[in-house]
Amino acid sequence: MRFLPLVLKHLRRSWIRSLSTVMALALCIFLFCTLQTFLAAVDASLASANAARLVTRNKVSLVFNLPQSYEDRIAALPGVKRVARVNWFGGARRAGDFSEFFPNLAVEAEPYLEMYPELTITPEERRAFIEDMRGCIIGPDTATRFGWKVGDTFQLESFIPPYRVGRPFEFVISAIYKPDEARYPGTDRTAMYFHHRYLYETTGRRIGVGTYAIEVDNPDAAGTVSRAVDTLFANSDAETHTETEQAFRASFVSMAGNLALLLNTIGMAVTFTILLVTANTMSMAVRERRTEMGVLKTIGFSSGRVMGLVLSEAAVIGACGGLFGLLLSQGLIRVLPHLPVIGPFVQGLSGFGLSPFLAVSGLGLALFIALVAGLVPGLLAYRARITDLLRQV
Amino acid sequence: MAIVQVSKVRKVYRRDTQEITVLDGMDLEVPEGEFVALMGPSGSGKTTLLNLIAGIDRPTSGSVQVAGTDLATLSEGALARWRSRNVGFIFQFYNLIPVLTALENVELPLLLERLSRRERRKRALTALEVVGLSDRAQHYPRQLSGGQEQRVAIARAVVSDPKVLVADEPTGDLDARSAEEILTLMETLNREFRKTIVMVTHDPRAAERAHVKRHLDKGVLRAD
Repeated sequence: MRFLPLVLKHLRRSWIRSLSTVMALALCIFLFCTLQTFLAAVDASLASANAARLVTRNKVSLVFNLPQSYEDRIAALPGVKRVARVNWFGGARRAGDFSEFFPNLAVEAEPYLEMYPELTITPEERRAFIEDMRGCIIGPDTATRFGWKVGDTFQLESFIPPYRVGRPFEFVISAIYKPDEARYPGTDRTAMYFHHRYLYETTGRRIGVGTYAIEVDNPDAAGTVSRAVDTLFANSDAETHTETEQAFRASFVSMAGNLALLLNTIGMAVTFTILLVTANTMSMAVRERRTEMGVLKTIGFSSGRVMGLVLSEAAVIGACGGLFGLLLSQGLIRVLPHLPVIGPFVQGLSGFGLSPFLAVSGLGLALFIALVAGLVPGLLAYRARITDLLRQV
Repeated sequence: MAIVQVSKVRKVYRRDTQEITVLDGMDLEVPEGEFVALMGPSGSGKTTLLNLIAGIDRPTSGSVQVAGTDLATLSEGALARWRSRNVGFIFQFYNLIPVLTALENVELPLLLERLSRRERRKRALTALEVVGLSDRAQHYPRQLSGGQEQRVAIARAVVSDPKVLVADEPTGDLDARSAEEILTLMETLNREFRKTIVMVTHDPRAAERAHVKRHLDKGVLRAD
């Protein structure tokens, strides 16, 4: 610790260079933590998918609905246990204002709740929800966010044209579900579910079904059932594409597999670039101070101690860069759900937040980069003979 | 009794395939409390001899004993520790650390000792008082004149109370008046604080202040 003031004073000597190196490292850690947080949230979302659940959508695109009549035909297929209609409502408290957006879906209540035991509510709450056409259940994070409690009412207006009926939809909170993180990790804590029937009736019975949620008897038969569903509607006006819930979610988050590769590649490239930049900066700092290092060795600093000073400077830069990067990352992660366009998508990712593990990893990465960058100049300072260092005078 | 004893020292530098003999069988004894001036033309080996005495270089052959220690027996780490306790080095260009104040520069060798911050400060201030610069303790090197910088460098050299001071042309970068002040200070350190001083100089007036003048030529001591 007694050498710390010396280290800090050396860093202040070229403060613009030190600051720019810290900023470069901060950028690296910011990207690392933010991208990894995003990927972790996507992974958690995918992991929460149930192997016994399938999703059937229009083969052309999610934008196009499927006929209501498909439900009974799917339910009649061997291996199918339940079917439920699901429509993404896309409602906001103020039309077009997504700053307070949260995922909201119209679902066929009874089979849906059977299929999704992770939406834990009491039998009384369930009864209240099913009996009230305007009833809904909401996630605990959304309830906390808006200060809502059971019995409260609120309004939502969709941005999707067929669901725009000239007035907002009014809802009554029947229940706030309690996710069981131990049994169902990654369960979304922000979503809202209301009656598909309410949407259907209010829109004049003209809408189709966005997706069908299917529960199969045996998860091992999921592939067979998927093919059976798609074969059933082959060559029809609305051909279907059926996949596992996990595959559906993965495709929904822009093909998460490729996304992870892309983001990790970007992260690696940035990290390597910053490593080179930091190494170059550290080398410059050491080259400029050859005589001073010679003086330090002359007055009794051992080679190891001089190398330690170089590495300490690198570590201070790494720690500052790492902490600043963490702050930037934490800031963006907090703001991201409130941004237009990407905000609603991020809100749909359960547990989107900088984890302590990632924060420590980010800080560790910053220190690692800085120390690796400082290693070569540190070794040069270690090995240099005093007479050679002083000859620079 | 000799505090510096150089016996049959050879120092050979190798440049590519060429060997350059800088010191060739050098013998030198410096009694404790002596003030010795080493003189000679450029390339005569003065600075090399000084570096060997200060323990910042090693001879190719022969032995260098300073303050009772044969420097050849010490590892690099032990030699560094030995330097911090036994030798103070005064450079021609002062070589103060520009980002540190005068006080912090003087305090630098004390960072290697197990001393409290208060004790380090106290000793560094005492050293600055000895060189007459206690009022400039918080000044940075750029705020000092050349003569003042060299006095701070001398304070740094004596702060850990070494037995031997080695000075490589300590007045070489100073005007005549500052040079006089530095030489007077070195005389004081020699006379009042009993420091043994080995000084390399080209300046005959500086050499006049020493008790003994030794002349080097082509790596050997010339008889006076």
